[in-house]
Amino acid sequence: MMRFILLVMMTVLLVVFLNPVLPFWAIMILVAALAGLIGLKGAESFLAGGLGMGLAWLGQSLYISVGTGSPLPNRMGELMGIGTGMTLVGITAVLGFLLGGFSSMTGSLFRSLLKRKPDNLYRG
Amino acid sequence: MKYFSFFFVLALTVALAVAVSIPLGSIPPLAPLLDPNHGFWQNSISEDALAEEELVLDNLSAPVSVVYDQNLIPHIFAENDADLYRAQGYVTAQHRLWQMDFQTLAAAGRISEIVGPVALELDRITRRKGLAFGAELGLKHLQENDPETLALVEAYADGVNQYINQLDDARLPVEYKILNYRPEDWSAYKSLLLLKYMSDMLVGDRDLEYSNLRKILGKEMLDKLFPDFPTKVDPVIEVGKVWDFQLLPVIKPDSVDYPTDKLVIDPLPQPAEGAGSNNWAVAGSKTKNGNPILANDPHLGLNLPSLWYSMQLTTPDHSAKGATLPGALGIISGFNQNIAWGVTNATKDARDWYKIRFQDESRKAYKYGNEWKTSTFRIEEIKVKGEDAYLDTVVYTHYGPVVYDRTFGAHRQDVNFALKWTVHMGSNEQKTFMEMNKAKNHADYNEALNYYVAPAQNFVFASKSGDVAMRIQGKFPLKWKGQGKYFMDGSDPRMEWQGFIPNEHNASTLNPERGFVSSANQHPTDSTYPYYVFDNSYEHYRNRRLNGKLTEMTGITVEDMKALQFDDYYTLASEALPVLMKLLGDSTITDPKSRQYLEELKSWDFFADPNQKAPTLFFIWWNETHQNIWKSWKDFGAPVVTPNNYRTVELLVSEPNGAIFDLKSTVSVETARDHVLAGFDQMLVKMKDWEEREGDYSWANYKKTTIQHLVPQFSSFSVKNVYTGGGSGIINATSGRNGASWRMIVELGEEMTAFGIYPGGQSGNPGSKYYDNFIPIWANGDYLDFNLRTEDQTEGLLFKTTLKD
Repeated sequence: MMRFILLVMMTVLLVVFLNPVLPFWAIMILVAALAGLIGLKGAESFLAGGLGMGLAWLGQSLYISVGTGSPLPNRMGELMGIGTGMTLVGITAVLGFLLGGFSSMTGSLFRSLLKRKPDNLYRG
Repeated sequence: MKYFSFFFVLALTVALAVAVSIPLGSIPPLAPLLDPNHGFWQNSISEDALAEEELVLDNLSAPVSVVYDQNLIPHIFAENDADLYRAQGYVTAQHRLWQMDFQTLAAAGRISEIVGPVALELDRITRRKGLAFGAELGLKHLQENDPETLALVEAYADGVNQYINQLDDARLPVEYKILNYRPEDWSAYKSLLLLKYMSDMLVGDRDLEYSNLRKILGKEMLDKLFPDFPTKVDPVIEVGKVWDFQLLPVIKPDSVDYPTDKLVIDPLPQPAEGAGSNNWAVAGSKTKNGNPILANDPHLGLNLPSLWYSMQLTTPDHSAKGATLPGALGIISGFNQNIAWGVTNATKDARDWYKIRFQDESRKAYKYGNEWKTSTFRIEEIKVKGEDAYLDTVVYTHYGPVVYDRTFGAHRQDVNFALKWTVHMGSNEQKTFMEMNKAKNHADYNEALNYYVAPAQNFVFASKSGDVAMRIQGKFPLKWKGQGKYFMDGSDPRMEWQGFIPNEHNASTLNPERGFVSSANQHPTDSTYPYYVFDNSYEHYRNRRLNGKLTEMTGITVEDMKALQFDDYYTLASEALPVLMKLLGDSTITDPKSRQYLEELKSWDFFADPNQKAPTLFFIWWNETHQNIWKSWKDFGAPVVTPNNYRTVELLVSEPNGAIFDLKSTVSVETARDHVLAGFDQMLVKMKDWEEREGDYSWANYKKTTIQHLVPQFSSFSVKNVYTGGGSGIINATSGRNGASWRMIVELGEEMTAFGIYPGGQSGNPGSKYYDNFIPIWANGDYLDFNLRTEDQTEGLLFKTTLKD
């Protein structure tokens, strides 16, 4: 559980501090590396990385749209034919979740590749 | 198994990453668009929250300060012209980059590059008209004749490019993110191209339609329905002006053979109706404070980002403020410490068409007199998104490009027509504006105007020293009477333009006795002006209302001028409605709905204010009647124009039983009354439909003034149904899609007192609070304070940025 929370928190921090200077795909690689270091199992890792990046993008998009009060999110929602700015906040969060989750899962599976054989004896 | 799971999830992850970074059909790459750190979310942040105290701008000779007032209007303080225009380029790009880039792509016929094959025909027309060709000649003209101006235009381009080069994804304008492309470098060429594009927006011709009408109706009927000078012409230059110059001779050929083909080709797109303007200046003798007052409101398509961008441009030598065109240098309509000036379109037939007879299929030579002249070929490569480039070969003659040929616009006939247009002649309009920004008096104004070629404008002028003036400036061909009204035979050298009207002979006036100068796109002069002047689209309503008001007004204040710019008096209605009513025979109409409408019309004061209902009824009734009168012309099977409102009203009055109203296709004999009745019935049908769908038919709700984003599909970036009055042919010329795109009033006292407003906002970013914040002020007929600022003034300061090398 501690490692789960750690991965979520670390991913959030990674997005908040590095995403402003790096594109989303670079963040995906870093999330994978982070998940590899922390070493949760696949599904847990997916959830933790997903929550981390998803929550970070949710928070960032909410912060910007509430903080600026700009009509742009609503205008974009209408333009894309998918509803209001809040729908877009949701879609952004889901996209962040998927990108973070899959990257994180890839990272953790990569780590398990490097592990020595005996670890797996019990599970077969 | 481990390997399998890893590679499976890796593959899924990579597939996802790829899927969200490439466009899928018309959907842009999702992740870059939605990423809160780089995507559209970032465009929600307004300019004041991004303010920087210092920014780097290379190649400056001294630091430049940019002071923003509370409306985000930049006031640039530079040590010299080169620094000033470099900073103008940089600052304009900060707020309007996408718009500048997009407009020059449109001007260059390159829209297909970003939107795909849907824009191909549009791009072909643009290129075949030779706008880019004209801009290339303009650049060459500057290189050869005016390297100083060219250096400044290049400094501006350098400023734009320095902004583009430091631009990160977060600050990239949102339109690029949606359409998934990147800004391109700016250049001096693009600034010149933009001015050509303005010409294209403002200049049309109806030579094709007149050629057809001449053939179908005969010259006599044509002259009756389309008189060169209507009765009660109220021209730009006051009636009675004495022309004290020696007329240049123009020789009319003894016999003129026009091409006799009936032309079934697609006419080029014409400037939108209602794309006109007003300007005027009243002398101190007519004003309360004894100072001249100047007003200008150019009417153009109402778009977002607005065509105009406000600025103050200051060096130790001069300080000019007003409206700029993003992409062009200097202030276009504005004032400085000594003078004020403004522009309206001076419609004059500046485009002519020549029929070309090629020697053979190769089109390498064409007949000219007794010889064959060699043509040149220009291959236009039009890049198309998602497809191979389209190669369009355009043949150029000495007249200009052959716009219509077997590959374009001529579906049913084998015709070749070349376009001759002043836009294809090297010119230096940019210098006019830069010199005007510095002008101190009437002589400087006149000198600045001498560089100006196209699009021809009525330049209004007023100075602190008390002068008011008007000059119609452009490069006007010397034509014999009637020349260029119809398509001409290009193989006959006698059809050539015989030179140009010298600048000193262009119609102008200084301090006329009536105490004011004014223009509203009407006839430039009365019939005594010795050169031939013709255009299809002269205004007959705004000009008379404007001159009528200015003549009767005395003790004028700035407030009076504001009210006049916002004047909703519907002159057409005041003249046509009584005629319609009389012909209808009021007493014969009994059904309650019709009675209701008629009562509303009868009690109307002819002001097209937003809450009035009568303007809607009149507008529909009149347009249906007009269409009904001329509907048989649709059967001609060729493009034509119909007589204008003014002439049609005259005919309704003068010969209501005349043959002109009879529809030849019916056995009965129609009179004016039949058309008025039919128009009334059609109005009832349309009103029934409208009341069922919309209910409210007050004028504002009916005309639905919309300020549309430059990409019409981005409708949520447009501002719709703006509650405001006015309409086409009304001084407040705000119709559905056209109107006062900029309003300015300047009182030239010891200190200049200025007001301005335009329907938009300083920012081009649809996420900014400065994107559309001027619209409610504009719609209400109010203004922003436009007084000159000093560098250290703190009142109304938003933020200040220093640009440093």
